[in-house]
Amino acid sequence: MRPYILRDLLRQELLTPEDAAKIEQFESAKPFSLHWELKTLLYLGVILLNLGLGFLIYQNIDTVGHAVLIALIGAAGAGCFWYAIRHRQPFSAGETESPTPYYDYILLLGCFLFLIMEGYAQFQYQIFGTRYGLATFLPMVLFFGLAYRLDNRGVLSLGITALASWLGLAVTPRELLSNNDFNSASIVHAGVFLGATLSIVPFVSERLHFKKHFSLTYLNFGVHIGMISCLAGMMALDQRVLYFPLLCLAVGFFIWYARTRHSLYFLTVAVVYGYIGVTYMLFHFVRDMDFLFYLLYFILSSTGVIIFLMNNKRFTKTDAP
Amino acid sequence: MIPYNRIWLDALLTRDAALDWHRQGLFSDEKWQVVQARHVVHFYSPNVFVRIGLAIFTLILLLAGVGLGGLILDADSVEGFALLCFFYGLILLAALEMWAIGSARHFGSGVDDMLLYFGTSMLLGSVYLLLPYNTGVLTYACLTLPFLVAGSIRYLDRLLAAAAFVCLLVVVLLAARETPRLALYILPFAGMLTAAGTYFFAQYGQRRYDWRYWHGVLVVLELLALVFFYVSGNYWVVQQAGAAWFQLEQVPLAWFFWAFTFAVPVAYIFWGLRQKDRLLLDVGLACVAVAVFTFRAYFHVMPLAWAAVIGGVLLFATAYLSIRYLKKSGGAYTYDAAADQSLLQEIEQQLLAQHLAHQQSQTPTLGDSFGGGQFGGGGADGKF
Repeated sequence: MRPYILRDLLRQELLTPEDAAKIEQFESAKPFSLHWELKTLLYLGVILLNLGLGFLIYQNIDTVGHAVLIALIGAAGAGCFWYAIRHRQPFSAGETESPTPYYDYILLLGCFLFLIMEGYAQFQYQIFGTRYGLATFLPMVLFFGLAYRLDNRGVLSLGITALASWLGLAVTPRELLSNNDFNSASIVHAGVFLGATLSIVPFVSERLHFKKHFSLTYLNFGVHIGMISCLAGMMALDQRVLYFPLLCLAVGFFIWYARTRHSLYFLTVAVVYGYIGVTYMLFHFVRDMDFLFYLLYFILSSTGVIIFLMNNKRFTKTDAP
Repeated sequence: MIPYNRIWLDALLTRDAALDWHRQGLFSDEKWQVVQARHVVHFYSPNVFVRIGLAIFTLILLLAGVGLGGLILDADSVEGFALLCFFYGLILLAALEMWAIGSARHFGSGVDDMLLYFGTSMLLGSVYLLLPYNTGVLTYACLTLPFLVAGSIRYLDRLLAAAAFVCLLVVVLLAARETPRLALYILPFAGMLTAAGTYFFAQYGQRRYDWRYWHGVLVVLELLALVFFYVSGNYWVVQQAGAAWFQLEQVPLAWFFWAFTFAVPVAYIFWGLRQKDRLLLDVGLACVAVAVFTFRAYFHVMPLAWAAVIGGVLLFATAYLSIRYLKKSGGAYTYDAAADQSLLQEIEQQLLAQHLAHQQSQTPTLGDSFGGGQFGGGGADGKF
């Protein structure tokens, strides 16, 4: 198809024949990039190693070979961190380039191996006793430290998840809804608190010009944890007076963010959570109405949302920073 | 044949190519500006997140609309219900043509997608409702196929094209299964032949200039054809199908299917690299994983944990050495990211972030006594 387009552009005299020749040359000789494939292989390798080693330790506890295994895993983890520290870039408050193509993956493997070792140490020797908080606090500090020093967003996500488990929450996309007991008030409070904190951090770091590119990672966790916790507060705890206004505040905040920063992702997410909240409130307070009433509500409200989303260009600021 | 404005569709193609050349530095800034000015596109094609949001709310709207229509017209017989579905489908497709595509100029906005899917489903629903209750799956599939093909051609829709391919495969396989005595031998080859035919059709179509608007549709077909070609001859699939449909213990021509299971991925990767065909290469890599799983399903040569460790080391080492090699002497291949992969990479980044988060959460949370299969890297719970 490209040759046709090229000919077309030539005919319209948008290109000189020399340019066209250059492009033709490029098209026929352009190298085939294996970037994506090889990165996927690296990542799968790390995941498989993590799974295999974690399982292996678990199976071999109390056998003769397990001391050797532990020593090997410990050495491998130390090796990963050694590599990461040896090849580190000088610290910068902005974004830094990975020093080598495998750097991020080796660092990641190191973090996983650290978790395996930590879990093993607790299982076998109870090094933290019953102070489980410490067991999640330690990796949290380590991961945040590594993420900021070595500028790695993957490790930052690990750190945020450790922070959440320190507060008692499971926050991965798959577990956010299934593994949390949202009937417990303390979990909901922790979730709202965490969501708010994670959403504020980016503004502080932008003000201080410190690791501004971490913003999206923080906000992405913040928006989902915060909003789901608010919804849980409304639905499971029955504290609508408190949590519905909080949800509205959060939706307002993220719509404002979307408006000033042109982020259509946060716009859509905020609108969806807001719609769930409003619909729940309506169904809770307006009861025993005709079925027709609810149908009309859905028709009118979704039409409204569609019009709102379709006009997002008019709505978002064009002179954003 | 296409309701979308063809001039704008062409402009989109030209812009895509020109942007690529512009990024490669083969196209000066002024020229890129001129190309943009000359090839104006007035489609409403929002960002992917807005598209998803619009699709969700359009779906809510349409469902409530169906409810309202049912409530008002109060259909109480199957025929009445079928008629209702039929009219609803017609109205939706008319709304798609006249309003969404016609006056609102939507193209891949979520609204037009959902109108198309919902309208097609309604039409199909009306047909299904009129069939007697003991109709076989083959009849359903035969009746569905033309709708899907027509929809994917007229609206350039990739999802409908994928559904049409699967539907075609169902038709072929069910028809082959009805063959007396020979069914068992014909089935895998019928699947392979259909997939191969689709593959060459898609390849041919992508070379045709007058089919350029369907390029994306044909790429999806090509991908599915490659996947299903392998699946048709994979030993595990053949063995399971034989056991389920013909109560067979032993697969006839077992040596052939074992050879197929291992040779096809290698051939895909080899030809993918040789022809610089990314689709072939990627499907080949995925097929290698399937081949390994197939082998492990029959021969337990190694405990799972060791297999994972060794596999992980092998994968990492392969990638590591390949990257080193490419950095030093690439030739026709390179490790530098190509411009046309931005979307795939974005998706990968997303998946990676999610996976990472999941890995971490396998460590104990508060109140967990570090027991069971929960600690460390997990995996013991078989969630992967």
